[in-house]
Amino acid sequence: MASARSRMSRLRQLAAACLLLAGGPASAQSLTPMRGEVTSFSDVFAVRVFPSNPYPQRIRMEVRVYDQEFRPVEAQVSPAAFMLGSESSRPVTVVVPFDGAERRKVRICVESVPFPNQQTQIRAQICGRFLGQRL
Amino acid sequence: MFNGTVGATCALNITSPTGVLVPSGTLQSLSSRLSGGAAGVVTVTTTGGVTLSLEPTPSAVTVPAGDTTSTVWTPSYSVTGAQTIANTTTATSLTAAGTNVVSVDLTGTKTGSNTFVSGAYSATVTVKCE
Repeated sequence: MASARSRMSRLRQLAAACLLLAGGPASAQSLTPMRGEVTSFSDVFAVRVFPSNPYPQRIRMEVRVYDQEFRPVEAQVSPAAFMLGSESSRPVTVVVPFDGAERRKVRICVESVPFPNQQTQIRAQICGRFLGQRL
Repeated sequence: MFNGTVGATCALNITSPTGVLVPSGTLQSLSSRLSGGAAGVVTVTTTGGVTLSLEPTPSAVTVPAGDTTSTVWTPSYSVTGAQTIANTTTATSLTAAGTNVVSVDLTGTKTGSNTFVSGAYSATVTVKCE
């Protein structure tokens, strides 16, 4: 009996400990375009994407570039991190090196960044797929 | 005359950023899918032609100091709305245009005789649309 009571008490303690605090305002994002092909005469190709925040609060965003296996690609992203106001979008220029290849497929991903002191337990990432081809 | 092309788009709105994990009676499972738990919720609005998935491994995992045994964490999700998808851990194509509600769950599992201990557990799950 005492053992069962102790077990219930432990369960209650554990359940209470696992309650995650409610987060702050919700965040949302989108990315345009999500597909594209670029032809380039040089050793790099450039893509301009437009992350947007269609919802009613300002959010912080980061733009990152990955290859097909989601390994980071050393690309120039300008700007790579920024605050985006409600219902607005902004251009982000991504310059990707071919690294000696004739064509290169990359994913350009925009991720909303939780604000400090918020217990955000879900992150959102939207990735566009782009193909660069060298002439 | 006006012409236009609508490409694949995806807008994610985190409507419920935190889930609630609760332990099983055996203390070997800690999950938002158990009675008393709650999933995180994300709204996905798309034109279709995109893929929805979760990062297979949660990030920023924290466990109490007293928990010294390993835990296998498994994120999963289900979808209702423009499209219905039963709880899954794998990537899914969203073919229908419209708005979907994605319920994001997380389950931690201990093996052998190991159990969860008292204290705070937390982890972050990434929802991906591409």
